[in-house]
Amino acid sequence: MIYFYDGSKESFLTAFVLSYGDGDATLTSRDCQLSLGQETVFVKADPARAAKAEARLNAIDSHCMRDLDLLLRSGEKQRDGVLLRYFRCLAAYGRPVRDMYQVDAAREADRALRKIGTEIHRMKGFVRFMECASGALYAPVSPDNDICDLLLPHFRGRLGSIPFVIHDVSRRKAAVFDGEHSFVAPLGGAEIVLSADEENWRDLWKRYYASVNIPSRERLKQMRGYMPVRYWRFMPEKR
Amino acid sequence: MISEEKLHILVNGAKFDVSCSSSGSKRKNGGGIGNGFAEGCCHSFTPDGRCVSLLKILMSNDCIYHCKYCVNRADADVPRATATPEEICELVMAFYKRNYIEGLFLSSAVCRTPDYTMEQLLRTVKLLRTEYKFFGYIHVKGIPYADGALVRETARYADRMSYNIELPSEQSLKLLAPQKTRESLLAPMRSLALQSSQFKAEKRKGHFLPAGQTTQLIVGASPEPDGQILRLTQALYRKNGLKRVYYSSYVPVVHDALLPDRPAGELREHRLYQADWLLRFYGFTAEEIVNDDGNLSYDLDPKCAWALNHMQYFPVEVNRAPLETLLRVPGIGARSAYKIMQARRFGALTFEDLGKMHVVLKRARHFITANGKFYGANETAVRGLLTAGERNDGAVQLNLFSDAETAHSALTGEL
Repeated sequence: MIYFYDGSKESFLTAFVLSYGDGDATLTSRDCQLSLGQETVFVKADPARAAKAEARLNAIDSHCMRDLDLLLRSGEKQRDGVLLRYFRCLAAYGRPVRDMYQVDAAREADRALRKIGTEIHRMKGFVRFMECASGALYAPVSPDNDICDLLLPHFRGRLGSIPFVIHDVSRRKAAVFDGEHSFVAPLGGAEIVLSADEENWRDLWKRYYASVNIPSRERLKQMRGYMPVRYWRFMPEKR
Repeated sequence: MISEEKLHILVNGAKFDVSCSSSGSKRKNGGGIGNGFAEGCCHSFTPDGRCVSLLKILMSNDCIYHCKYCVNRADADVPRATATPEEICELVMAFYKRNYIEGLFLSSAVCRTPDYTMEQLLRTVKLLRTEYKFFGYIHVKGIPYADGALVRETARYADRMSYNIELPSEQSLKLLAPQKTRESLLAPMRSLALQSSQFKAEKRKGHFLPAGQTTQLIVGASPEPDGQILRLTQALYRKNGLKRVYYSSYVPVVHDALLPDRPAGELREHRLYQADWLLRFYGFTAEEIVNDDGNLSYDLDPKCAWALNHMQYFPVEVNRAPLETLLRVPGIGARSAYKIMQARRFGALTFEDLGKMHVVLKRARHFITANGKFYGANETAVRGLLTAGERNDGAVQLNLFSDAETAHSALTGEL
């Protein structure tokens, strides 16, 4: 049986409960190719059921809801399978399985979580703000995983009272700090009026980047390993 | 705004400094811009594979010293420039706000006098912290022979300071950096370490070098063997409490009769860094990892070389070996060792499990048993198998003066 859910936490937990006894259950939140005669269930989030499942899972592993929240942000194709196997494994062992690296389900989840963690760390460095005429900062990004709101606390801590927007252009949403509150909002396009000095500082940064390189020690493969090409799109020094 | 040309000159003079890390400081944002990020953060990577974390810049490249290896030495024919403290502060604020950098790495050539130079550095960081309200990471280079009071005050504003030892022996310093002595570099380092521990003990408010001190050694400009370099490194970690020692393989940008005209090679630098990691995280001592000839082996990484010379300790059983033993197995790093320690609490690990856990078995399999099974080659074949795939670009023309003692007398003419 194939269980379709909408990608939210509640709907995942409902689907998880519904599919629990089903040995060949497939969970998915995306389009998928059905085989002939395959049965499908469209799961509607059931708050009561989800809350009960959450409480029971929390009793097994108090950090598992954090894992769920992160894994639901994953942009990977196998995400739903990894999630289902990880939570089934958790329920079956009745204890935290995070460090059981010899168990496939736990290891897969660990790897997926690590990938998301790596991208969050990378984005803290690779986000590039431009200054708008109003003094606010705007940064377009396009991460693999849905993580733009997780960057808010980091940049709030360092930018003080300056308002800023981190715009996930591929998911058409933005993490916003308006000077007082931070929130997430849907955002399609943005028209930016740059501040007078913006271009100059950007050129100076490009010049810095070119000057600090040592041409006789070229290691392009290493550079691309640390800073994959897909992140270059919004970095002025790489365009 | 600083001009592009000036920026280019001042960055060009600073770029050979390898230290660029921004980790270790948890400074809070005190109502301005910036904070410390203890993990450290890389903001970009240049085509030479190095990260850009800090804005690496010289205050001035107008030097009164004659260090032979240096691009900025007094008699070099290079364009000179000096930045004002305001220019640097403005640049840091603009770059930091746009998330281009994690902080400032401020260094300088010795301009006019050591005290004058240190004063300029101090003025800049003080301005940045108090006027511009910048709370991000600042790394300041210490100037040898500068007044202790200036250095101490700078340390109150900086997150990290470093004195570059550059050459691993007094003899080489005398030859290549005649105005510096070993003592002029080590004494301020010791004094800062002492003040830092006093500051911590007194639990005073504010900061005193929260990210500690580092230093840098040039490898291959002078004839010291790896063993000497590593013993120096070890002493610096143990006695002066340094956070890092960086190695910079010598690149001949300057031509001088006293300097080699070949670059030292990146492999040597790589091996030294591997050895450095063994000292800091793997419980090795410098004496253990150096070969009898005083150098590291170039065809094998230092841990592998050590293990092959100590086959009596191997193979070890991964399901029972304590952490410090696991860390000594070639191919098993800190992360793999941790994973093994965690996973084996739930059940015995087999070779298959290790493979799935992404423990690199290429080297490790010769030195471990998993659940009693051994999949390695026999002792005589191991060396051949391990060296076969390694890089070997260290082949060089034999040199008449290739050993350390004769090399010095060849340069100085003394017998």
